[in-house]
Amino acid sequence: MALLRFTSLRVLRCLLTLWFAVSVTFFVVRLLPGDPALAIASPTMDEAQRQQILADFGLDRPLAVQYVTYLGELLQGNLGVSFRQSVPVSEVLLERLPWTLILTGSALLLTLVIGLPLGVLAATHRGGALDRVIQVGGVVGQSLFVPTVGIALLYTFGLWLGWFPIGGAIDDDVYGLEAYASIARHLVLPCLSLVVLQIGAYVLTLRTNLIDALGEEYCTVARAKGAPERRVVWKHALRNALLPTTTLVGLQLGLLVGGAVLTETIFAYPGVGRAIYESVGQLDFPVLQGAFVLLAAAVVVANLLTDIAYGLLDPRVRAA
Amino acid sequence: MSGLSEELTTAVEPVAGPTPAARTWRAFRRNPLGLVAVGLLALLLVVALAAPLIADYPRGYGEDVLAGPSAAHWFGTDHLGRDIFAQVVWGTRTSMMVGLGASALAIVLGVAVGVGGAYFKRVDGVLGLLVDVMLSLPVLPLMILVAALAGPSVTTLVVVIAVFSWPEVARVVRSQALPIVGLSYVDAAHVMGAPNRWVLLRHVLPAVSPVIAVSVVVTASRAVLSEAGLAFLGLGDPSSWSWGTILYNAQRSGSLSSSWWTAFFPSLAILLLVVAATLVALAYNDARNPRTRQDGAR
Repeated sequence: MALLRFTSLRVLRCLLTLWFAVSVTFFVVRLLPGDPALAIASPTMDEAQRQQILADFGLDRPLAVQYVTYLGELLQGNLGVSFRQSVPVSEVLLERLPWTLILTGSALLLTLVIGLPLGVLAATHRGGALDRVIQVGGVVGQSLFVPTVGIALLYTFGLWLGWFPIGGAIDDDVYGLEAYASIARHLVLPCLSLVVLQIGAYVLTLRTNLIDALGEEYCTVARAKGAPERRVVWKHALRNALLPTTTLVGLQLGLLVGGAVLTETIFAYPGVGRAIYESVGQLDFPVLQGAFVLLAAAVVVANLLTDIAYGLLDPRVRAA
Repeated sequence: MSGLSEELTTAVEPVAGPTPAARTWRAFRRNPLGLVAVGLLALLLVVALAAPLIADYPRGYGEDVLAGPSAAHWFGTDHLGRDIFAQVVWGTRTSMMVGLGASALAIVLGVAVGVGGAYFKRVDGVLGLLVDVMLSLPVLPLMILVAALAGPSVTTLVVVIAVFSWPEVARVVRSQALPIVGLSYVDAAHVMGAPNRWVLLRHVLPAVSPVIAVSVVVTASRAVLSEAGLAFLGLGDPSSWSWGTILYNAQRSGSLSSSWWTAFFPSLAILLLVVAATLVALAYNDARNPRTRQDGAR
């Protein structure tokens, strides 16, 4: 029952966040000086043609009407029409979304797989040389500019050593197993860029939480009962230290998506981020708007899943 | 070293000891990493201010296209033969301007919302929800949309980055202000009939000022990263150089793959600034915390 209440509250909050995201973009696009009609109308058009275009895109109606129409269309999955390509925005973006999900998903997974043991190492060797190195690495990693990491990896492993392709997401004319191998090879460098960017926050947070947990009484009890230190760390302390670290996933998701936009730009990776980069050059506002709404929705849903997982893992959260 | 004399003085006159700020500064001076970081930030600030004295504004076309680092061009030249050292120097100016401007604006907004939320319980729920919602959204795509619409300029960048950076400040400031608001000296001030404005300015703001100081540095360095990110995507101010713009040119022209220096030096500048800012914030936090600082005086 408590879990149901907890979950429904979270879902409500999710919907609120989405509504906020959608409304902000709508009013930002309509109220800022960059006239959408100017972006699509060429200077050679006369006034009548301009009005015709405004009417075609529904831009001549009152703001409130446009807003309600926009929300209604959005609920039906309609994100508008691309100014430049004259195809539905949802079509442009949905074929790119899987690539972004693959990139960010694998980056998050790899970050956790590498980051958790590093955090444990730092916490159990507190104050030692290893701890220092991990801490400094964490701070520097968080301070890096995403394109810097991407370019450095592209140089070293793509151009210089030639181990991995420097752009794209898949080779032409590959099928079956070969296609998977090709996707994996194209994924390595962009994925690693995001891991470098993300991992510091996870390692440092887990380190702090684990050090706190190891000082708790239940760990002293476990040690007093003669449990080996390895068991105290992995069975007793880590479980509790992981809980607050879960919240970090939610906080970092927005950053991860932002990083993906820059990474996809560098590696010409055909995801939503690359679509954003291309649309900036062409001032294709419906695509920019749709991309933000879509990415926000992805982040919000991922956040909801993390929250529910947290609620399942920790009964105290449900009660609160 | 000075441990003994310090102990004596504090023992003799416990009241007239050094002020907390002086003690923090003394502890800070003993942290070599923190001092180096402060020096680095100061150096970058000097470069930003003195840009016209250090290098000519890079414009037009040069003769040596994509020349590597040499005595004539310390950081090499770009695809149009322009000196990259000059670009980085002038870029320092834009990056610092956007970083400090956006940070100042975000701090004002964030402190207002954070302190307001902690102090006026009635608005806390709404403000807290707004902060949570904004923190959970992917900010970079939103900044891109707004910057593209408003048209690229330094002012746009400052406003856009500030508008989407204040929630982080608000969150930190609120969590610091919350316990202060419940302390008895605040209650005492209320009992004596002090107006809200007075309590906020005299009691709450000074108590959260150390957090604000750290926020200024951290927010500014994040703003520099955001500016570089937007410029890298082609949304930089076209009339001024910035570190992100240099990288954007390198990426757009394809000179990236043949000439490492077009990407290396602006990247290095960004890295130095952000790492220095982070270290200053960490060192300041350590120096301020009596449990971690190593000056013997508690």
